[in-house]
This record gives sequence, C-alpha cells and structure tokens, in this order.
Amino acid sequence: MTTLRSWLGRYGALVRTAWLVDIQYRAAIGLWLIWGVLEPLITLGIWWTIAGDGPVQGYERADFARYFFAVIVVNQVTIAWDAYYIDSWIRGGEMNHRLARPIGPIHEAIADNLAYKIRAVAVVTLVWGLVAIAWPAVRIPFEPGRWVLAALATLLAAAIRFLNGYATGLLAFWTTRATALVSLQYGVSMFLSGRIAPLSLLPPAVVSVSSVLWFPWMLAFPVELLTGTITSGRTIANGFAMQIVWTLAWAGLYMLVWRRGIRHYAAVGG
Amino acid sequence: MMRVLRALWRASVAEELQYRANFVASLLGTVFWTGTAILTVAVFFGQTDDLGGWTVWEVVALLGIYTALGGLVEAVIRPGLGSLVSDVRSGGLDLVLARPVEAQIYVSFRRIDIWRFADVVLGLGLTTFALVRLGRAPGIVEAGAFLLALIAAAAVVYAIWVVLMSTAFWFVAVENLAVVFDALYEAARYPVAAYPGALRLLFVYLIPIAWTTTIPAGTLTGRFPPVVALGAIVIACIALFLSRLFWLTALRHYTSAGG
Repeated sequence: MTTLRSWLGRYGALVRTAWLVDIQYRAAIGLWLIWGVLEPLITLGIWWTIAGDGPVQGYERADFARYFFAVIVVNQVTIAWDAYYIDSWIRGGEMNHRLARPIGPIHEAIADNLAYKIRAVAVVTLVWGLVAIAWPAVRIPFEPGRWVLAALATLLAAAIRFLNGYATGLLAFWTTRATALVSLQYGVSMFLSGRIAPLSLLPPAVVSVSSVLWFPWMLAFPVELLTGTITSGRTIANGFAMQIVWTLAWAGLYMLVWRRGIRHYAAVGG
Repeated sequence: MMRVLRALWRASVAEELQYRANFVASLLGTVFWTGTAILTVAVFFGQTDDLGGWTVWEVVALLGIYTALGGLVEAVIRPGLGSLVSDVRSGGLDLVLARPVEAQIYVSFRRIDIWRFADVVLGLGLTTFALVRLGRAPGIVEAGAFLLALIAAAAVVYAIWVVLMSTAFWFVAVENLAVVFDALYEAARYPVAAYPGALRLLFVYLIPIAWTTTIPAGTLTGRFPPVVALGAIVIACIALFLSRLFWLTALRHYTSAGG
C-alpha cells in the first residue's frame, strides 16, 4: 500500500514537471499538433472527393469524415516520440546522467507522455466538438458504453505504440539507425494501421497479414470502435485480446532490450 | 557573393563525403518513402479511376516531381534556412549579420547536403517512367514549359520557407518551425483538383502549394497549355518579392530587439 502511494506520489511529481515544461514549449507543441492534424485531413480530402461519385464500398463522405476525425484523436493519444529522444541521449551521452537518477528513464517517459497527451486530447476533442456543431458529418453516435470501450482500446493502443517505440529506440545502444527503424514502422503503419484508408478498403490479403501483427491494434481498432464500424461482440472481444497480447509482447521485448542494452552500454562506457 | 557560396559549398561537400554510409541510408529512405507514396496512390485508385480528373500515371508523374522538389528542399534549403531558428536563439545570427555579405542569401544557401540530390534524380526518373506509361513524349515547347514551371516551383517553395523561418525572429522558442512546411508540403502529394473546393482555393491562392507540383506536372503531361508556365513564373516572382519584404521586416524587428 505504501509502495503504491509512493509511486503515485512520484508519478504526480513527474507529470507535474512534464506539464510545466510543456507549457514553456507550447508554441512548438502546437506546431506538432498541426502536423498531426493536417496529415489525416489531407487524406480525408482525397477520400471526400472520391466518395463524391457515390459510396466507396459502403463508405459515404460522412463516414470518411468521422473515420479520419477519430484517427486524429486516437493518434494524439497514441503518438510516440520517445525513440528520437532515446537515440539522441544514447549518442550524445545524456543517457549517463539519466541512468544516475533514482528512477528509471521509462517512468519519466511515461509521465512525459501522460502530460502531453492529456493536453493534446483536450485540445483536439474540443476542436472536434466545435467542428461537429457546424458539420454534422463528423458527429459520433451517442453511445456512452461504446465510448468507454473505445477509450479503453485507445489506452491499450497507446501502451502498444509507446512500448514499441521505446523498445525500438533502445536499439540505439547497438546501432546509429534506430530511428530509421521507427520511421520504417511508421511507413508500414500508413497502411496496416489504417492511416491512409479504413482497413476494409485494402486488399483482403493485406488485412489478414496485418491482423496478426501489432499495427491495426495501435490505431484502426480503437478508431473503428469509436466510429461505430465494429459492432459484433466477438470482433470486439478478439480486438481487446489482440491488444493485450501485443502489449505484453512489446513489454517483454522492452525489458529484454533494456537489460541487454544497459549491459552493452556499460561495457562500452568502461 | 557567388565566390563565397562556392567556397561554402565546397566545404559542405568535403564534409559530407566523409559520411558515405549516409548516402546509402538516405537513398534507401527515399526509395522506401516513394514506394509508400506509390502504394498510397494505388489504394486510392483501387476505388476510383481518377483523382479530380487525373489518371493514375498522371498522379505518379506528379509524385515524381513531389519527390524531386522535396529532395531539393533537403539538399539546399533545409540545411541552411532550417537552422535559422537556433541561430536566432543562440545569437549566432549576429555573426552572420556582421559579415559583409547579403544576409538572406548567406543564411539560405550556406550549406548543402549533396546526398539528397539523389532524390531529385530519383524523382525525375519516376516522372519519366510515368510519362512512358502515359505514352507521351513531351515536345520541345512542353519540355521548356515544364522546366520553367519547375524553376518557378522551386522559387515558390523557397519563398514559403523564407516567410516561415522569418517568423523565428518573433517566436524564438519554436525550434520545429520547419514542421509547418512539412505538413503543408504533404498536400502537394496530390493534384490540387483532387481536393474539395475550399481546400483548393486555399492551396492555389493563400498557401501557393498548388504551384509546386500540380502546375509542373500538368504542363509536362499536356493537361495545361504551356503558357501556364509563364503564369507560374509571375506567381514565383510575386512570392519571392513578398517573402523578401517579410524577411526585411522581420530582420528590422530582430535588430531592434537585439540592440
């Protein structure tokens, strides 16, 4: 009990610090936000034009609008940039004094993520709400039960993407191209996570390959849960099961890479 | 000025030549991202026969220009102008301003990353391939119009960068200003005709991103008459002029703050 309380205290302090640091860089954060919003909007623009000639495999213009607005929000919760920091820390030597701190670097990273995401989601949801007043296409059906499920799925998606990014970033202990691997995965996720189109518009073979990987569970699943595309209880249960499997898998990989990496790093440092 | 630039470029090239592995990495990166871009186009064309009236190979031709122009940005513009924000913050810009050279030109073109010129070659190669698939050999007039439109496109992109980076004189804390360009340039991936009306107006007039890829690609494939290239040159001159004014205004702001 006391350990739980002390951990809560630690996280409280870390999140507060991260929050205050973010305030100093609010303009820069705003620009990252613009980037995160514009990319899906551009894709939406194209689909909007295509669907002007009639629905695309059941997707009307409004369905695309809802889908990509949900992508924007879920993306803000799941976005993971830690790999780029880890890479520069390891290469620049800043990792040394981070390791000397009494609390592991991953806890600080989690706190940074919490601080950023709470703010970004608040902003994006607020904007979405305002847009929805003027533009009925992007309104989400009012089903609080579904919203709760979608929120849960989004949290798990964030965990997968965070652990995936963190573990990949730690490869910087061995190679100078760890961030390239992160970008590579991002490129693949354009398709397999449903960034470029809802997965059902991709060739069936691609969809079946993606469903055994971690990609769709990082974005497409929570998005479609939120927009109401997924309705069957079995699909929902299967989705959550896959999310849990991949969260555990990436957590395991993180621990493996971290332990080995630290040993490797110490060996190099002397 | 030219002599100064030549010396700076020689130094940049000498520096980059030490990191040959970077060449392979950057080339692989470009091939990968161009591949995903083509697949994206394939996903769209899996559901439709045209994007705003453009056929698939016309869009691929445009994609090649997008890659080539993006390579030019990475090779010439970003290395120099991209570090303006940190120069303003660290005070390094004072050293530039104290030199007896034109500050805007010096800041813009002081560094080049030669490896990224490979992207230009790769992009133009993709465009050529798309032209072959279209079964179109552009005549001398069309080729000339394309060249003019491409030069105009590079000028427009440069002008957007100058305006964007000049805001660094006011917002010193924004390290990632260049991200705004990346986000906007993302829109240049597809022909402007593929966007809904409101966005189209925005990209043609307010943020002239349409002039960067749509116009060169259109003149090359014969979608637009060659005379459009002259319009592109006019737009480019206006953009350069306005960006110069913006730069000078921003610079005045800087000196008054620094002194």
